[in-house]
Amino acid sequence: MNASSFETPASVEDLQEQLRGVGYIADRGLGTASLIALRLSRPLLLEGEVGVGKTELAKCLAQLTGRQLIRLQCYEGIDTHQALYEWDYARQMLHVRALSEHELADAQTVGGLYSEEFLLERPLLQALRAGSNAVLLIDEIDRADDEFEAFLLELLSDFQITIPEVGTVQAEDRPIVILTSNRTRELHDALKRRCLYHWIGYPTASEETNIVSLRAPEVTEVLVKKVVASVHRLRDMDLAKPPGVAETLDWVESLGAIGADDLTNETAIDTLGAVIKDRDDLDLVASDITRVVPGG
Amino acid sequence: MIWTSSHPTSPESSPAADVMTSQAVDQNIVDRLVEFGAALREAGLPVGTDDVLTFCASVAELSPSDSEDVYWCGRATLVNRRDHIPIYDEVFRRFFLHVPEGAERKHTKERKAPQGSTGTINVPDAEPGDRESEEPPMVLGLQASSLEIQRKKRFSVCSDAELASVRRMIASIRLEPPRRQTRRYTPDASGAQLDIRRLARSAMSLKESSPKLLRMDRKQKARPLVLLLDISGSMADHSRNLLQFAYSMRRAARKVEVFCFGTSLTRITPLLDRRNPDAAMRLASERVLDWDGGTRIGDSIDTFVKDWGRRGLSRGATVIICSDGLDRGSPATLAEAIEKLERLSHRIVWMNPLYDSSVGAPPTLAMSVVGPHIDEIASGKDLESLEAFAAMLPNIG
Repeated sequence: MNASSFETPASVEDLQEQLRGVGYIADRGLGTASLIALRLSRPLLLEGEVGVGKTELAKCLAQLTGRQLIRLQCYEGIDTHQALYEWDYARQMLHVRALSEHELADAQTVGGLYSEEFLLERPLLQALRAGSNAVLLIDEIDRADDEFEAFLLELLSDFQITIPEVGTVQAEDRPIVILTSNRTRELHDALKRRCLYHWIGYPTASEETNIVSLRAPEVTEVLVKKVVASVHRLRDMDLAKPPGVAETLDWVESLGAIGADDLTNETAIDTLGAVIKDRDDLDLVASDITRVVPGG
Repeated sequence: MIWTSSHPTSPESSPAADVMTSQAVDQNIVDRLVEFGAALREAGLPVGTDDVLTFCASVAELSPSDSEDVYWCGRATLVNRRDHIPIYDEVFRRFFLHVPEGAERKHTKERKAPQGSTGTINVPDAEPGDRESEEPPMVLGLQASSLEIQRKKRFSVCSDAELASVRRMIASIRLEPPRRQTRRYTPDASGAQLDIRRLARSAMSLKESSPKLLRMDRKQKARPLVLLLDISGSMADHSRNLLQFAYSMRRAARKVEVFCFGTSLTRITPLLDRRNPDAAMRLASERVLDWDGGTRIGDSIDTFVKDWGRRGLSRGATVIICSDGLDRGSPATLAEAIEKLERLSHRIVWMNPLYDSSVGAPPTLAMSVVGPHIDEIASGKDLESLEAFAAMLPNIG
């Protein structure tokens, strides 16, 4: 049934260990939520600050399970044509021309215009078709309109959709579904209730050191610890956009790119753009850099 | 150790329990889990039977070795919003770890204003009901003369009875938020572009040999509206009407967010979804703790920017600030906050009841600070100016 040889891990520890193997460190809570989602075939809704690894989890789960990652990036005004399917009008048109030139048009060939040949699959239909060979990532669902949420609700409860010209498409096995939200608005309770929920917070200093060491193994542990400590101090400051784990990784890599092997006030100022992305925040941090990077 | 309580298997066990017995999980455990669900429900979390079922199923799947596994199973299945996590934590601690209630109570429940303060916006009996508020907008100029007088009478000198009839009229002002172009197209006979797709389809129907040219144009969509209402002492007279105004706005336009501020900022949007304006207003006044207190405009706007604006609530939106600009906070904070707000929103309209179109804005420090950053200034001191505002709104870009 399942094309890949992946077997759902027996325990949370096993899953955590396997995720670590593909470069993702999940804490106990996230590990548990993910395992339940895998075992019960339920969608998993992840909320959390920017850059804490919500999208990354879907990518790593796809890699781990050997499934195809199908991503649906949501935005304001997204509709079924972009999310589900669309007819390829241009090709249908050409086909009609070809048929009429040879005077081949009869009921059957006209019916053929609405065959799968002319159907453009969009992410949701792709995921339904792929079934257990897919990890479906519905990214930043909070950006889509609420009508779209209602539509998803239907899809996520039955994993089937109806295309009037073709018929009903149902997933043989359910794909793994990960939804992410940055909480720019509150999602409907009905949608939330279809999903398991996990809030991803910022990792502790030691967890974050592990994550950075895993992702950037070439960097010395001393430097990683120093950068992580500074990032944690930044998160304690009153910033508009506190840096996420993604920013910590960027910072470490930027330091590597300019050939710095230590984090000093000077190198910190030079590479601050990797970790602070707001002008007011930059001013605030630059004026107080000795607090962020103590000891020179 | 958490499974120590040994209940006799009760005959009236829940449906969740029935499912679980087939999965070879100890009935006692299931009872305990169901009880936990009930305890959460009692603490105010919306936990449905299906949630409890999922919870039990997840516990059965993981066969937990300690309470931490149970904790995380419950977190993933029974909690679906971040605000509920502290409540969940406390119930969990009490239920499984036997920590007495309130021993470590970190989350603060929303405080309610003392009963007396609700009187501030208790509106007279003549308040419009649902039926009246759904009447079509009034045709202006055909009003009875007493209404005509009320239209120009400042709200601050209206009697309670007059205010009630004014409010009825405010409820009938039809508001149309400004519109923006979307990426999508819609058929439009005088549109700028050819609609190739529809052309293709009409050409496919073989009977039409020379199809008409079909055109399309960009779809228009209403911009979201964000209302920031000053409800401090100096604005108390207006706040009642403006809240009614906010209410009718909320019902007219789909995307409207309403915040109240005085010394601090409170979001009252969910309260305005109630069908009955009376109830909504009473709830709003209970929510807003600093009703009739001082004004800290700068800090309140700053809070809005940090907690809501940054998250995208005001992006592309028309922000309407209703305040007289008598600020007790620091002007530097206000200047910084309004500048940030300007960058996070599409247009800012300042509604100031002290504003007179013939004289201009009153020379308060706050108004001169925000002057360069706001796009429009309106009055809203009487019904006529509110109508003028409603007429202006669709045209401010």
